[in-house]
Amino acid sequence: MTVEKKFNETVLRLVDEDITLMDVDAFVFYARTDLQLGTGIGNAITMRGGPGVQEELDKIGTAQVGQAVLTSAGKLKAKNIIHAVGPTFQEADTESKLQKTTVAVLAAAEKNQVQKLAFPPMGSGFYGIAPDQSAQVMLATISAHLKNKTGLKEVFICARDPRDMKPFSARLQAMS
Amino acid sequence: MASRPRSYKAQKVIDRLGQKLNRQVVGSLAACVHCGMCTESCHYVLANPDDPTFAPAYKADRLRKLFKRHYDWTGRVLPWWVNAQSVYTDEELQELKDIVFGKCTNCRRCSVNCPMGVDFATFNRMARGLLVHVGIMPEGVAAVSKDQWEIGNQMGVLKEDYLETVEWMSDEVVDEMGDDKAAIPMDKKDVNIVYTINPREIKYDPRTIANAAKIFYAAGESWTMPSEGWDMTNFGLFSGDDDLGGAVARRVYDKVHDLNGKILVMSECGHGYRSTRCEGPNWAGYDIDFEMESSVVTMLRYIKEGRIRVDKSKNPGAFTYHDSCNFARSCGMFEEPRELLNLVTNDFREMYPNRAENYCCTGGGGAMSMAEYTPQRLKSAKVKADQLRATGAKYVVTSCHNCEDGLNDLIKHYKLDMEVTQLVNLVAEALIVDKKEAVAEVAAKAAPAAELAGYTILVVDDEPDMREFLTTVLEDNGATVLTAADGDLGLEMARTHKPDLMTLDLSMPGTDGAKVYETMRKEHDLKGIKVCVVTGKPELRKLIYDRDIQRPEGYLDKPIAEDSLLLNLRKILEVGSEKS
Repeated sequence: MTVEKKFNETVLRLVDEDITLMDVDAFVFYARTDLQLGTGIGNAITMRGGPGVQEELDKIGTAQVGQAVLTSAGKLKAKNIIHAVGPTFQEADTESKLQKTTVAVLAAAEKNQVQKLAFPPMGSGFYGIAPDQSAQVMLATISAHLKNKTGLKEVFICARDPRDMKPFSARLQAMS
Repeated sequence: MASRPRSYKAQKVIDRLGQKLNRQVVGSLAACVHCGMCTESCHYVLANPDDPTFAPAYKADRLRKLFKRHYDWTGRVLPWWVNAQSVYTDEELQELKDIVFGKCTNCRRCSVNCPMGVDFATFNRMARGLLVHVGIMPEGVAAVSKDQWEIGNQMGVLKEDYLETVEWMSDEVVDEMGDDKAAIPMDKKDVNIVYTINPREIKYDPRTIANAAKIFYAAGESWTMPSEGWDMTNFGLFSGDDDLGGAVARRVYDKVHDLNGKILVMSECGHGYRSTRCEGPNWAGYDIDFEMESSVVTMLRYIKEGRIRVDKSKNPGAFTYHDSCNFARSCGMFEEPRELLNLVTNDFREMYPNRAENYCCTGGGGAMSMAEYTPQRLKSAKVKADQLRATGAKYVVTSCHNCEDGLNDLIKHYKLDMEVTQLVNLVAEALIVDKKEAVAEVAAKAAPAAELAGYTILVVDDEPDMREFLTTVLEDNGATVLTAADGDLGLEMARTHKPDLMTLDLSMPGTDGAKVYETMRKEHDLKGIKVCVVTGKPELRKLIYDRDIQRPEGYLDKPIAEDSLLLNLRKILEVGSEKS
């Protein structure tokens, strides 16, 4: 199922795709402060993309909540990965931190001339942010950004799980 | 008087507790009369008789105090009277973590022995969920949960690796049966059976998949494996995370529904069976429109209906059966596995106590993933070791992958001369396949001896006998073999010769295998070399479950059977399961 909305010249599209297999300029990885890729999607990046991504992250060191750092994507189809450190596990001010993190991602994308960008449902799943809260914050932040001057041509949100797809789809469809 | 400040996470835990209370949990929290009946039923208590903190009633009281302080009127009004107590700091939450994750496997043996019906395991699981909600959990639980949330299975097996492994097993079965119809179907629609498995089978024990396929083939079954939603295990049961439990169960159900399968059959996994068959529909809020059964029942049905024939003389030796806590005590699967075992073996010896009273393998409740508690887990396994030893059996059969790992660890730790296996292996071994059997034998004899030709394998092991055994087997099968007697030499040879694969012993003098493995994964030039860990040291199972570094491509327990060694090394080399 694909749901999309156009903001000026940019399309915001919800897709049921594996983010690590996306052919984009950059995709977003919901990172830890120690910038270790670890398991889950991090494991997929290591397995499919090779060890170079972690080596780049090791050189960067650490990042704080609300920050985003860019590396190459190794052997993946994507050119780059934006490692975004967002709020986790019901921590205080989750909503504002998630918004700040999303803004940091968009800024990193613009700075690096990214035209095709893919997001996961940020913080949903393991990190415990409610899918609807993630959808609300991300869609509001991204759409606000796309209404201004931007180099982004296509923005994807990869929602593989129905528990994510449902609220993201409903909120995206409801946007004017 | 100013109230004591409370940490953000502690407040979240208290709030969440209120949302998780239901009739069952409140009943268990309120009903305990501290009679002590549960005490002797817990394997942790039996191993630590002088430490009251292992007693189920004591452990339960840690949560009960919290419940009383915030949700029971007696504790709110007269906390000193009923010993009600709150939590205030993250350190107290960490302490609670060590109790609910480290001192209980949620085996429910105390639950069935409580005259008041207190189900400690149920609210212990709930307590785990409260902590997971605020990010407090053992590192291994976090690693496995994240894999299952984001990749879709507990071991982070990527889709291409799953498909390649199943295809490889399919080719093996076709060769052995001498019939293309024996191939493993993938995503076939409108079938009778959709067969789901434990990712451990893909990662470290794929012969169980081939054996199941042989049985389906012999029975003439209409079946398929699914390309998605194939992991029937569910770490939500262990972590207490109902959201994860629901998401995982839904993926499996959705796929069976899409394929229009009539029966969802689950391979032998205790917690997977309980999660998918019993708990999942509630967690996921799913209206199930197909049947669900354990492969144990499926295999038994085939024999009873005459769809497959078996020759029990093909499984010589004495066998005993270990009841998995989730499969047996929680789901009532007591007689079916015994009936099946008696049909495929000649010498079955009951273990005492058994069925609902059996002791935990001590690896349940996610304990295998919590490396920090391994010493106390193995200590608590003494009662299980005594049980096993008393049977005099050579083989212990269990219908649970978790139990298989837990039992393997304690067998090594307590130096028992026993092996662990599953019913699917025994049924496949006993299978009588008309006509095709002769073809299979010919095919096996005609199989090229040089299965590993062209590969260079570096054997790193300090035991001369093991080096010689591995060298002989691998060279006989065509590999070029290099050997190193310690870790430092192993690393040096790896850097110089860049082998295709390293077999790595973990317990070696000097630089041990764990350190060698870490170096292999961190040093740029060594990262591409595949590693199969070969160990007799249970403490290092954390390399499979609990790590930030990439998992080893293979993991074999000593002693190693020749066929298992070759199967696993070929899988690593030919399937190319890791691509770094």
